Amino acid sequence: MKNLFLTTILVLALSAPAYAMHPGGTVNVDINGLVCDFCARALEKVFGKQEAVDNITVNLDTKIVTIHFNEGQSLDDETITQLINDAGYSVEGIKHDE
Amino acid sequence: MRFILFALLGMGLFIPSVHARPVSYPGGWTTMIMNNGDRHSLHLHYSPTAKYSLGYKLEYWRDGDYTINTLQMNNLLKRWNMPDAQANLYLKSGVGVAYSDNGNFDGETDLAAFTGIAADWENRRFFTSYENRYTEAGDIDDFYMQSARVGVAPYIGDYGDLHTWLMLEVEHTPEAEDNFTVTPLVRLFKDVHLIEAGVSNHGDVLFNWIIRY
Repeated sequence: MKNLFLTTILVLALSAPAYAMHPGGTVNVDINGLVCDFCARALEKVFGKQEAVDNITVNLDTKIVTIHFNEGQSLDDETITQLINDAGYSVEGIKHDE
Repeated sequence: MRFILFALLGMGLFIPSVHARPVSYPGGWTTMIMNNGDRHSLHLHYSPTAKYSLGYKLEYWRDGDYTINTLQMNNLLKRWNMPDAQANLYLKSGVGVAYSDNGNFDGETDLAAFTGIAADWENRRFFTSYENRYTEAGDIDDFYMQSARVGVAPYIGDYGDLHTWLMLEVEHTPEAEDNFTVTPLVRLFKDVHLIEAGVSNHGDVLFNWIIRY
């Protein structure tokens, strides 16, 4: 019982910061033309100006950019596509977290 | 004039804050400091959109002992975004003033302009580019030049890693005495800094530093 209690506390403690960091959910965007750090940095700069966006993570191997939103905020697919096009890249697909 | 140029280049080396692309992301500033056997240059530009940049360029041409100060505009004519690669076509143009310290043209000032195209293709392993330029500087000088590069990354780094490229540059200036210059070089790219260093077949050092912020 004691072990179960400690395990539960530990799991909650580890998961709470993750939830607090990205309480608004995430969107994964598959991007064409994402070949270098500079491309990734360009997208960071563009999305960093959006109030709805907490931060983004870029995976150059998969060409997927994950957008983490602030709580209660998001961007629609059209806006996300426009921002990526404005940064000079093109969208292959957008997948919302369920 | 040469002192002013070197002073400016020196100041550029201490700007606190890549890729050698002539257009950055919307709202992005870029400082490019380029040095090789023919010339030294400082190019500072701002990109209102990802389609073009506006900036100032200062060049010092060693053989002719003259400087060119220009307002430069770079246009991204076309970008091809592919799943694992990217290709670009640019138009680079500048207008300004040339000033000579050399012989018959000592103290002479002329209007100057240049234009040329630049193209590149790259994925995370390979890189290739081509660039040409015609420069007109009144009585002081006029010339055509072109260059090409190939490169390979010995390892594929993740985002944020130090990226390394091994490159070979061939520059062709038909009017020059040594009209072909071949320069093997190393490109290092991390965070907002891109540094290139090499030595040409004429024994001249190439050193470029590009900062994006």
